[in-house]
Amino acid sequence: MSRFFAGGSDSESDSSEEEVPQPTFGKISTTYAFSDDEEDVKRVVRSAKEKRYEELSNIIKNIRNSKKIKDMSSILTSFEDLVRAYTKALRVITKEENGITPRFYIRCLAELEDFINEVWEDRDGRKNLSKNNLKSLGTLRQKVRKYIKDFEVEMKKFREAPDAESEEEVQKAESESESEDEDVKKPAPAVKAVSFKKEEKAPKPAKADDDSDSSVDWGSSDDSETESSEDENVYTSIREKFLKKQPTDKEDKYDKDDKKKEKKVKEKTHKKKEDDDEEGWETVTKGSLVEKPKMFAKDAEIDETLVLNKLLEIMSARGKNRTDRKMSIELLYELKHIAELHKMNVAIIAKILYSIITAIFDYNPKISEPMKIEFWDKLLKAQQDLLAILLSQKESVTLAYGITEDQEQLETAPFFIRGCALAIVEKLDDEFIKLLKECDPHSNDYVERLKDEVNVTKIIDSVSEYIERVGNSNEICRVYLRKIEHLYYKFDPTVLNKKYGKLPNTTRTSVDDMQKLCNFIYTNDETDRIRTRAILVHIYHHALHDNWFQARDLVLMSHLQDNIDSADPPTKILYNRMMANLGLCAFRQGNIKDAHRCLVELMVTAKPKELLAQGLLPQRQHERSVEQEKVEKQRQMPFHMHINLELLECVYLVSAMLLEIPYIAAHEFDARRRMISKTFYQQLRSSERQSLVGPPESMREHVVAAAKAMRCGNWQACANFIINKKMNTKVWDLFYEADGVREMLSKFIKEESLRTYLFTYSNVYSSISIPSLAEMFELPKSKVHCLISKMIINEELMASLDDPTETVEMHRSEPSRLQALSMQFTDKVTNLVDVNEKIFDMKQGNFFQRGNMGNRDRAFNRNQNNQNNNWGQQRRDNRRENRGNRQNRNNQQQQQQQKESIIEEE
Amino acid sequence: MVTPTETETMPQPHKFDLTAKNCEFLDRHLTFPLLEFLCIKAIYNKQEMLEFILDTVNKTNMIDYIMDTRKRLNLGDEMPEELNQRKTKVLQTLKELQSEVAPIMKATEILKNSEMMKDSKTFLNVLQKDYNFKSENVESAYKLAKYLYECGNYQDSTSYLYFCLLVMSPNDKNYLNVLWGKLAAEILILNWSSALEDLSRLREFIDNSNFTPMQALQQRTWLIHWGVLVFFNHPKGRDLIIEMFLNKPLYLNAIQTMCPHILRYLATAVIINRQKRNALKDLIKVIQQESYNYRDPITEFLECLYVNFNFEQARMKLHECQTVILNDFFIVSCLDEFVENARLMIFETFCRIHQCITISMFADKLNMKPHDAECWIVNLIRNARLNAKIDSKLGHVVMGTPPLSPYQQLVEKIDSLSVRSEHLAGLVDRKNKQKNQESIDSWKYY
Repeated sequence: MSRFFAGGSDSESDSSEEEVPQPTFGKISTTYAFSDDEEDVKRVVRSAKEKRYEELSNIIKNIRNSKKIKDMSSILTSFEDLVRAYTKALRVITKEENGITPRFYIRCLAELEDFINEVWEDRDGRKNLSKNNLKSLGTLRQKVRKYIKDFEVEMKKFREAPDAESEEEVQKAESESESEDEDVKKPAPAVKAVSFKKEEKAPKPAKADDDSDSSVDWGSSDDSETESSEDENVYTSIREKFLKKQPTDKEDKYDKDDKKKEKKVKEKTHKKKEDDDEEGWETVTKGSLVEKPKMFAKDAEIDETLVLNKLLEIMSARGKNRTDRKMSIELLYELKHIAELHKMNVAIIAKILYSIITAIFDYNPKISEPMKIEFWDKLLKAQQDLLAILLSQKESVTLAYGITEDQEQLETAPFFIRGCALAIVEKLDDEFIKLLKECDPHSNDYVERLKDEVNVTKIIDSVSEYIERVGNSNEICRVYLRKIEHLYYKFDPTVLNKKYGKLPNTTRTSVDDMQKLCNFIYTNDETDRIRTRAILVHIYHHALHDNWFQARDLVLMSHLQDNIDSADPPTKILYNRMMANLGLCAFRQGNIKDAHRCLVELMVTAKPKELLAQGLLPQRQHERSVEQEKVEKQRQMPFHMHINLELLECVYLVSAMLLEIPYIAAHEFDARRRMISKTFYQQLRSSERQSLVGPPESMREHVVAAAKAMRCGNWQACANFIINKKMNTKVWDLFYEADGVREMLSKFIKEESLRTYLFTYSNVYSSISIPSLAEMFELPKSKVHCLISKMIINEELMASLDDPTETVEMHRSEPSRLQALSMQFTDKVTNLVDVNEKIFDMKQGNFFQRGNMGNRDRAFNRNQNNQNNNWGQQRRDNRRENRGNRQNRNNQQQQQQQKESIIEEE
Repeated sequence: MVTPTETETMPQPHKFDLTAKNCEFLDRHLTFPLLEFLCIKAIYNKQEMLEFILDTVNKTNMIDYIMDTRKRLNLGDEMPEELNQRKTKVLQTLKELQSEVAPIMKATEILKNSEMMKDSKTFLNVLQKDYNFKSENVESAYKLAKYLYECGNYQDSTSYLYFCLLVMSPNDKNYLNVLWGKLAAEILILNWSSALEDLSRLREFIDNSNFTPMQALQQRTWLIHWGVLVFFNHPKGRDLIIEMFLNKPLYLNAIQTMCPHILRYLATAVIINRQKRNALKDLIKVIQQESYNYRDPITEFLECLYVNFNFEQARMKLHECQTVILNDFFIVSCLDEFVENARLMIFETFCRIHQCITISMFADKLNMKPHDAECWIVNLIRNARLNAKIDSKLGHVVMGTPPLSPYQQLVEKIDSLSVRSEHLAGLVDRKNKQKNQESIDSWKYY
């Protein structure tokens, strides 16, 4: 870099807006003036000090530039250069400045340190750095730390009063630059330009001081960055100037600089306006700008319009590509603070709060990822505040979606604010779920997050209170849906206590709340989705509280099964969850068949985990793409809403066992036997395949062992396998009233074992005494009587009761071989007739179609038609022949032929 | 034979009283017979009942009935002046209305026996042409009919309503009301056959017109309740009630959602209807489904007998049923039939399960004396409804049901096959002919 350039830049920075290096040049400004001129006129011999300082400041500038783009490796190299340059300059410094380290150098070091610390602290940001940068950052940090130890005293001094001096210097610099410019013989335009700069610059130190909204203007995150950005402007503008050096019209050049600068600075379109704005401020406060420009200005000027304009500015930057979202959140907070300080009306505060909420939502650019905890906390607070305002100011403040921007009324009551309380609470809720999903469910984090559930539900409650007042029925439906979705999976023991009469009938339970909210949705909802979800949630809640009949009736009446296939995935998941819970409820109530029916669809696929959205299955052969996986992950349920899968499976297997084992026993030799539960069969078979079966360990093994015991009618063993300590802790204790369930289970096991026993061993007995059966199965005699009666009526058991002797007389006679075969044969013939009828029905449809086609474009189909006819003819002949010869022919043969003809047909 | 335990389990009659529930769905006038019935049964305090009746009657124009009720309440013989005023006023309005309708009625009188009465369209044409008939006349006839009904003059009301039905188009806004009014009036004058006609007409109308689901449900619920009145009084009603309530899904749904207590009447109808035994299965399904919602001794009786096969409990329930039926206006007339059939049901089920029964135990189950029970069984055997023998030495009944032989099973299974095959062959032949025809047709074009 040429010395011209360097020199030019320095002098330029004086007159433009450089403030950092100024202190160094305070004393030598005259020389600088020359250097500026020098470009126009001639070279000047410079002192050693000058040379060294130039070098230093160049490097410092480089560092600043690199800082802005976070280019750590170049910072590192620059820093090393800097240290080297400083050692070179040290000699001069000791001579000229009595060994006092120049302030600009200290400043640079301090800033560098701050910057490194900041980058280091920002973990997320750090992750985004490239490997190379990361490495450099580490070394840089160490080096800087080591190096600044030598300057500790100076740094401390600097940090104590960085701004006071800089202000002074600014003043100095200003006066100097003015005089300078006058020196340079372009009095009028230069002064004008400088004064403009001054106006622009003057408020800055003060603003940076109180960390107020001024930094928005620059759109960067902190002071150092603001400055560095300025630096860059200077730098680039200087380069520009250097390139287009035209000694004749400096005025023009200044203007150009100005424009360029404006473009370079991070703001884009609105920047201009802002500048104007600030100019406006300045003109008013110009006189007393030396003391406390900003605060005074605000005290004098702040009113509603001003705040609103500011708000508008901040919000209009929303969504722009390079807007710093974090900054705008901070700014909004600041603005709110100011508004509160000045006791603005509630509507403005509400409006700002609303803006804060939306800004926080904006902060996270990715939908799939949760927001940061700190923002989450802020968000909760902001929403609570906003709702507090909305609810406390009953009639005077209205926040509604329907209000257009023109209709907004923020200055006089009644206030109208544009916005949607419902939308933000829905978003809040979604974010909450996302946050929960992010946490490890077994960690304390999760518990911590979950504590916010209370707040979220409170917010939803207050929103619903608010919406009930102002919203239409559709909005109320929506907020109610949110409400019930937070309610439905929570178990409320008061419901059961009320049912048993332990609590007075007037107690309000969650079931009642649910009923009320759902009824409203049923009657008022127009979108089908909310109603469907409400029904599902309602059923779930009933099922959770053992209201089996109500839950079942709701399922039946809503015809959910018919059209759930066309629903969206989250609703389908909810449906699955509902079904699972309904199955559990049926089981608890002793409706084994219903329990099995509810659960079979979930369990038959062997992936209930996926169906209930409680975790992804391990990937097999890239079944799903990354995209798909992402989508599926989003649908997962948060952990606290999970249904215990082992419980679910156990309930399913036990109910399958209770149904399947007697059925197997009853139809042992039946050719047409179908299995009730495939999953249960698989379990049974896999255990049978094992050569050695050890004592059961897992839940499944327990159930299989129990099933085997039941097969022999050994109810005692069966009950022991199902109900024991291990199974209690694993499964049964998860039920609210575990004892009741266990009692019910052992009753069912006894009954079904009795049935199995009778089926299996009835051919051994010619009569069994009922009392002895009752004793065997520890059932009351009447119960045994009922069970046997039922079996006889249903023709499951060929027997009849003998009342005087209280015995069961078996009628079952083993059919002879011939009889058995002929029975089998009749079965097959029946099947054949069935198939024939089915085929005829099918063909009928086909004939119709063909006929039509034939008429429509005859020429084309003629051939085909004939062929078909011939085929049909043949077939029919075939059949007629068959029928005629039925008596004579061997039946088997006939069947063969028929089958052939069927195949032909197909 | 009333054992001490039975007296203990005597149900409190009002526990199963459905009058209140039923009255919700009945016309005010239709409730009077029910209320009067309750008065007689003395389940509730008679004084209160009468006061309630007076209250209800006061809302109608039946001044004589009001007076009568007041008398029964011993409120003094002389009636308040206001009542007399009302009476004169009612009579006056009646006259006014009648004079409005008179000309048209005369015309109807004349036309009554002619051919034209048979077709409502021609009738209407003639009326319009010859007698200057306007739509307002229908309106006033309707009003008059309504007023007459309110005064308790049901007989006249029906004739006017009949006229209305004849000339009104089904799109008229009052058409539904006329139908309902006609049904109510027919019921109240105990003209069951025309009531049944009206009932089916009303049902058709409700099923075919496009109400919203809620409205339709409500209309059906009313129809069901009014129907119960008709069905239990009409000789054909016992089949029809099953047909309508159980086999029509719309009405079954209405019963299940709105008024499960109707199951009592449905159950009674099924029990006393020997021919419709196959309806029992469906009914029991429904009863089980609704068991959490509604249960009374009659439904429980069926449940005990056919679901739990608990004969002891069934016996107790049967006993309770008797009190329930005795106190229910709708079915009180079927008490004997019910008991008889219920016994038979128990016995039938018993026989299917047992091969040997002691008579004394059995008599106990049927609430009969052993001697009577024996006679009863003898009768059954004699009427060839039971394949059994009595062993009087041991006091046993021995069933003669032989176990099903394999041959019989075989025959049963193949029985239907030949018929089905024949049918199929016929169909194929027919198709074939059609086909040939078609192919010939398609050849014609070339």
